[in-house]
Amino acid sequence: MGILSREQALEIARGLVDTSTADETEVVIESQADRFVRFAATGPTQSADRERHFVSIRVRIDSGEGKREGAATCDGVDTALTAGALERAVELARHAPPNPDLIPLGGPVDVEDRRPDEATLEHGFEPKADWVRTAVEACEREDLLPAGLTQTGGYARAVVNSAGRQVYAAQSRASFALTASTPDLVGGAGFADQIAATVAELDPDEVIRRAVLKADRSRGAEAIDAGEYTVVLEPAAVSAMLLFAGYKGFGCQDVEEQSSFLCGRLGERCLSEGLTIVDDASNDFYPGIPFDYEGSPKVRVDLIDRGLVKGMVTDHAWSRKLGVPNTGHGRMQPSPGGPTTSNLCVAAGDQSLDELIAGVERGLLVTQFHYTNLINPRELTLTGMTRNGTFLIENGKVTRPVKNLRFTMSMTKAWSQITGVGNELHVAGALFDGEVVTPALRIDGFRFTSTTAF
Amino acid sequence: MTDMLNLAQQAVEHALQAGADYADARIVHLRREELIVKNGRLAQASSPEEFGIGVRVMQGGCFGFAAAPISSNGREGLARDVAHKASRTAAELGSAVVEPTRLAGSEGHVGEYTTPIEVDPFAVPIAEKLETLREAEASLEGASEVVVRKASASSRREEQWQASSEGAAIHQVLVRCGAGIAATAAANGRVETRSAPASFGGNYLAGGWEHVTELKLAEQGARVRDEAVALCSADACPPGKRTLILGGSQLMLQIHESVGHPNELDRVYGHEVDLAGSSFATTEKLGAYTYGSEHVNLVADSTVHGGLDTRGYDDECVPSGTWHVVKDGRFNGYHTSREWAHRIGEGRSRGTSRAEGWFNPPIIRITNLSLMPGTWTLEELLADTEDGAVFADTVKMWSIDQRRLNFQFTCEIGWEVQGGKLGRMLRSPTYQGTTPEFWAGCDAICNADHWQLWGVPNCGKGNPMQVAEMSHGAAPARFRGVTFVDA
Repeated sequence: MGILSREQALEIARGLVDTSTADETEVVIESQADRFVRFAATGPTQSADRERHFVSIRVRIDSGEGKREGAATCDGVDTALTAGALERAVELARHAPPNPDLIPLGGPVDVEDRRPDEATLEHGFEPKADWVRTAVEACEREDLLPAGLTQTGGYARAVVNSAGRQVYAAQSRASFALTASTPDLVGGAGFADQIAATVAELDPDEVIRRAVLKADRSRGAEAIDAGEYTVVLEPAAVSAMLLFAGYKGFGCQDVEEQSSFLCGRLGERCLSEGLTIVDDASNDFYPGIPFDYEGSPKVRVDLIDRGLVKGMVTDHAWSRKLGVPNTGHGRMQPSPGGPTTSNLCVAAGDQSLDELIAGVERGLLVTQFHYTNLINPRELTLTGMTRNGTFLIENGKVTRPVKNLRFTMSMTKAWSQITGVGNELHVAGALFDGEVVTPALRIDGFRFTSTTAF
Repeated sequence: MTDMLNLAQQAVEHALQAGADYADARIVHLRREELIVKNGRLAQASSPEEFGIGVRVMQGGCFGFAAAPISSNGREGLARDVAHKASRTAAELGSAVVEPTRLAGSEGHVGEYTTPIEVDPFAVPIAEKLETLREAEASLEGASEVVVRKASASSRREEQWQASSEGAAIHQVLVRCGAGIAATAAANGRVETRSAPASFGGNYLAGGWEHVTELKLAEQGARVRDEAVALCSADACPPGKRTLILGGSQLMLQIHESVGHPNELDRVYGHEVDLAGSSFATTEKLGAYTYGSEHVNLVADSTVHGGLDTRGYDDECVPSGTWHVVKDGRFNGYHTSREWAHRIGEGRSRGTSRAEGWFNPPIIRITNLSLMPGTWTLEELLADTEDGAVFADTVKMWSIDQRRLNFQFTCEIGWEVQGGKLGRMLRSPTYQGTTPEFWAGCDAICNADHWQLWGVPNCGKGNPMQVAEMSHGAAPARFRGVTFVDA
């Protein structure tokens, strides 16, 4: 079946809203299908051809003492399952205490049309087998071990509620990623990937070339002391920082709960002039679903504007509570987490990667960060390890590979020390979740606090 | 039960007819309930349900997997379609196979397993559960600095039916519950969170609602609130090298990250390098390598009462078991699967291959892995420890390198040891180290009276990532010469 079409999803959602006996009902349907292959030196190691459909139902019952809310989800669009979920949601709402904070569900809206690429949805395993074979052979020729993933698929979301809202959008996604390592998994490694909205945009040969080249250049890495360095962070490394700003920072609830680096900085021009960050589901480079989990249209939000800490994202309830516009960044409701960014984009600058490197007297080129995590949300202090290609830069040139280091640093400080922004945008994913659109960044005084053995 | 097992068996037959050399099918019916009371409001009351089938085949030495949700109609057709998809996946990837995959042993077991519970969490009236949380959340009231008060409970019931072409026919019902409270205070330009009994939403155990009742969350609220407020004005834990005593709710993550993950055999062979990473615990070290001091015994056990990964069989139909991962400080054993066991000359898998739900193929996962208790009481241990040492507990932040050597962890709270007792409170104790050196510094572990299982509900691994659950038993333990850093 693949992902649900507009007609299928809206019919199921509308049917549930119409059936519901609750005073207010909202149905969110998420539908996904993918085909992926993981691979290593032995060839394909895992593969899957999958589909799933989530139905989430939120209901409100007005008992006379106030509105009560409950929610339930089911994994499938079968009538018996969805009816059961609706029943459970109503049951939970009946027993929930009245919640005076609940405001009426949002009414009809217009959203951008977004359709997936059919060729990406239908992309099969035979061409993926060719890519895997090419990667394995390229690594074998250079005495390297491959480990990678290629994945194609689609995702659709529909939101229908009893206030007349009815929206649907779908998108496709294709990716190819390769990590090439020396056979002992210690002597050096190189990572490259590509994430795109359509499979036609993928160039696995180029990804393989970059990963193998980087791994080859990483051989014989030598230890370097921890300390402060100017760094050139490639897009994959930048993504690790940005995602934590989205996870805990750019949401208005984080600010209200004093758990955001925006606290005390909103309206302040305290970051580097080269840094501009927006949340923009309509960006041309890698657009996202144009509405949130409440069906509210996503608005482009200027979060950081040339160093000025400017904005935060909101949802239906928080916009009403704060008296500000709804930017369309609600999570699946009800949520204790508050609104969150979904399509972070860093504006491109004017320097090529070589030019960024050329501006470094002594520093480090970082391919990727590993296991980055948040220590202090008020300063956006993060720690993490470099990974899959870390190189010393001397007098504007990459001179030799170095062993990995751990950084521990406030991003508010790091982002006030940006001295160069790359002119090429990439879609980059972080280790655990999420994707951003970003160029490379050059940052002075980046603090590395310890080293490791490889 | 029979219907679902029949459906799984039909899927296996269809896969064999389509050309598979081996096939297994797993049907999962998962029901959860997530309740959160936050700042006096019901912030989440959700009841998710999943029901689907995943079929894995081995064909020409290549795995293929397919998965789809189960509907009330057309189930036989669904079993056929999913089985054929899995077979076709393996067939189309056959040209890329360099080294055919093979499975260790034969695991045609027929069996049942059900988590022992006293109180079915889904039979407890919702009003009763909400009242428990409301009382727990209200117990955090009383300080203007507290900006977030939260009480949460989570219940989960997973019913599985597994069949394989080797004759396996397995039915399992796995139940777990968890709950916790947390207060976030903001003052002096700082924001600090204190949790009980652990972070990640509390503590979770395999079992019924009795576990939530036994936690007595409302009795801990005042302490949690006051500690969150006090942390905002507490001194930062100073950097430098000194003795560290870790409480169980922090030590469990130390075990997880620096012993559990590096002992997954697929990582050792580089098959997780694309995301999670590899391991320093390479195969030539098995049986000889000094992983820690002689006090360190770490036992993997998928049979222990209350463990989040306590079950009858893993997702490759292999029975649960117990073994030492580290014995008297020596590296003694890996977590394996049927795909990997023979690589180290073992004839059978340790039974630690699991998938998240029905939607994913199984991979090696950490099972319940515990640091065995020592002989000390906590009072004796503190009395035996020099001034200036730090007692730290509860996970705040964790990070470790891709070979599981360099780690850096931050705890929610710490206290300086002064005169053999807990003295000055310390904010954000952050310690950094290298795995074998850290465990080599372990010179004392508290006794069984202090030992308990701590649940990890959010372990991520695989690519695309899957989430698994497991428990780690620990009692407070002392580590010498630990490096504390500024954070």
